[in-house]
Amino acid sequence: MISTTAKTTSALRARPFLGAASLVALFVALWMALIWSPPDAAMGNVVRILYVHVANAWLAYLAFVVVFVASIAYLWTKRPVFDAIAVASAEIGVLFTGLTLVLGSIWARPTWGVWWSWEPRVITTAVMFAMYVGYLLLRNLTDDLERRATRAAILGIVLVVDVPIVHLSVTWMNALHQLPSVLRPDLSPTLDPAMLAALIAMTIAFTFLYAYLMTARVDIERRRQARIIEARA
Amino acid sequence: MTLQRIRLIAAREARAERGQPEGLVTAATFVATLILVESLAVGPLAAGRAEIASALFWIAMAFAAILVTGRSFERELEDDALDAVLALPGGRDAIYAGKALALAALIALVAIVGGALSLLLLSLDVALPGHLALVTIAGVLALPPVVVLFVVLALRLRSRGALVPILVLPVLVPQLVAATNGTAAAMSGDMAGAIGWSGLLVAFALVYSVLGLTIVPAALE
Repeated sequence: MISTTAKTTSALRARPFLGAASLVALFVALWMALIWSPPDAAMGNVVRILYVHVANAWLAYLAFVVVFVASIAYLWTKRPVFDAIAVASAEIGVLFTGLTLVLGSIWARPTWGVWWSWEPRVITTAVMFAMYVGYLLLRNLTDDLERRATRAAILGIVLVVDVPIVHLSVTWMNALHQLPSVLRPDLSPTLDPAMLAALIAMTIAFTFLYAYLMTARVDIERRRQARIIEARA
Repeated sequence: MTLQRIRLIAAREARAERGQPEGLVTAATFVATLILVESLAVGPLAAGRAEIASALFWIAMAFAAILVTGRSFERELEDDALDAVLALPGGRDAIYAGKALALAALIALVAIVGGALSLLLLSLDVALPGHLALVTIAGVLALPPVVVLFVVLALRLRSRGALVPILVLPVLVPQLVAATNGTAAAMSGDMAGAIGWSGLLVAFALVYSVLGLTIVPAALE
């Protein structure tokens, strides 16, 4: 038997600050990406899509790794807060993986000449999206709190295998997709410094946004857990 | 977990299938029908190409594995036998291992039926029969550890019949790619390719077996 109460935590108290920080960081990052950074020599202004696309992809990776860690923590401790963190992070991860695919498609049309290409990075990302949609589906097919949390935790551990596959797919196979420009094995980014700064700013802004969304969604999930426990009692 | 308990669970599964072979019969019929329909849909000429025939075969095998595994656990639930098995002394990981082992044997039988049918209907030439057998064995071993894991996760849930393929198929993509490429390589005479893909399939089988043995006991209730 697990029990839960929706308490005001330090994370909840930090939410307004995280919201404000997200807004400011997003404003600065958008200014850097859209106005301050130079256009690409080959792609022109189309390159500006990549600042948001890459930040989205980073957030998706982060979200699914958090699902993995929270899932292990849940199985270890059986504390429902970790289940709440896992579901919150999975939902955000699915949302941002979907956006990554859409933005990548918008970028691919003028660059590759097609909306969709069957190349390793795109396929593995689409597979990752499908996997975590399945994760959310699994969660919705039972009302039993413990059963749902345990099974979702197991799935959350298994599915993380796809995250490194997505990232490394472009180096393992012949890919049309650009090779990693920042997270390279030799730790030497290949981007123009202004472009790199805009990309880092956008990634930081999205990370703040992730933290803000997490605090809000975890709070909702904790309240839902409390309602289920109360109804059961 | 002991080897004896794994053997007992696997033998029990085999006995149940011998008594009521509906899982095996359904899966074999399903594979035969699917190969026939897929071949007609893409056209016999295209379906006769090594890569296409291999892909059609392994897609059918993935669905058959889901069907056989689902049926195996449904039978346990219908007879209220799962609770009794869980109550027996010994590790729950042995249930996972025993089931996976028995289902690999069942899927191997289905693969023989489906493979023979593909070879016959599509007049396929096989350059390296021994290597084809090797890839098929490796592919058959790679499927149950994943499928059993996901069927256990969906056990006693609503809409589990639809949920399992949704969960399993994306995870099986690397195995299906490896099995398809390995089979096509064996058929077209690429010895190194067939051995390489077989090795990858065995590696997948080992990784998912370890994963399943570690975490499935938590889901078995």
